[in-house]
Amino acid sequence: MTKKIVLFLLPLGVFASSFNSAMQSYINDLKVQAKSHNTNFVDFSAKRGEQIFTSKHIGKRGKSISCSSCHSLNLRNKGKNIHTSKVIEPMSPSINPKRLSDVKNVKKWLRRNFNDVYTKQGTALQKGDVLYFINSK
Amino acid sequence: MKKLILGAIVMIGTMYARDVALVNNKLYANECGSCHMAYQPGLMIENSWKKIMGNLSNHFQVDASLNKKDRMTLTAYLVKNSSDKSSAYLSRVITKYTNPNRAPLRITQGQVFGSYHAEVGNRYFKRKSVGSASNCAACHTTANRGLYNEDYVRIPR
Repeated sequence: MTKKIVLFLLPLGVFASSFNSAMQSYINDLKVQAKSHNTNFVDFSAKRGEQIFTSKHIGKRGKSISCSSCHSLNLRNKGKNIHTSKVIEPMSPSINPKRLSDVKNVKKWLRRNFNDVYTKQGTALQKGDVLYFINSK
Repeated sequence: MKKLILGAIVMIGTMYARDVALVNNKLYANECGSCHMAYQPGLMIENSWKKIMGNLSNHFQVDASLNKKDRMTLTAYLVKNSSDKSSAYLSRVITKYTNPNRAPLRITQGQVFGSYHAEVGNRYFKRKSVGSASNCAACHTTANRGLYNEDYVRIPR
């Protein structure tokens, strides 16, 4: 009986951490790029992504900020735009299924937010790591 | 009786007359409304919107860049619905008192905004529950319905 339940739940666990096919193909593109920059590259890491997401940097406005400044440290919670006070819906795809579902949108926000927090574009490795981190929450 | 009904309709109509026309573009509501209130295009003149849309990668020191297609579509929408094209009351006031050659970059820098908010101290705008003067809906409870009349103002603690 227990075995049956485990078998039944297993696919759910896989679903929670897998990307839709368009997103997976974007992740695969990022992997190819990451591999071309570094031949030792194996896979993205949610742990490295967490570091990218939570560490503070002097951002575009000259102030020390991190992604968490607006998105909060717990991705299952709502965040708040520090400039406009507008509420930001949770980043966690398991709480908010719209997240990481649309490649165009994901690319747009990676471009903007790396610029705002890191004052430069993210590398393929950094983008993949961050996406793995968000997806793991 | 007919006159009474007509009178009532006119009265209710005046009560609910919008100060600016509502946002009626989904792309605009989604794109611009994801970081801040999707300000009604009728709150600024055409030249102001053109300036803003010409520098989205440095939008008040934030990267709000769009792909070219979306940027063109939204610029056209904003220009077409800017205050100069609108017959709504507040839009007409804004157009009348804005010099097109010195179009402000922010709604809050406009002369009309300034005179309407002259009696509101800076400390109210700086309250944590408000954040800044750009957060219309913090005090204007009906901002998203295009109603900026002071009857609907509630300054939060």
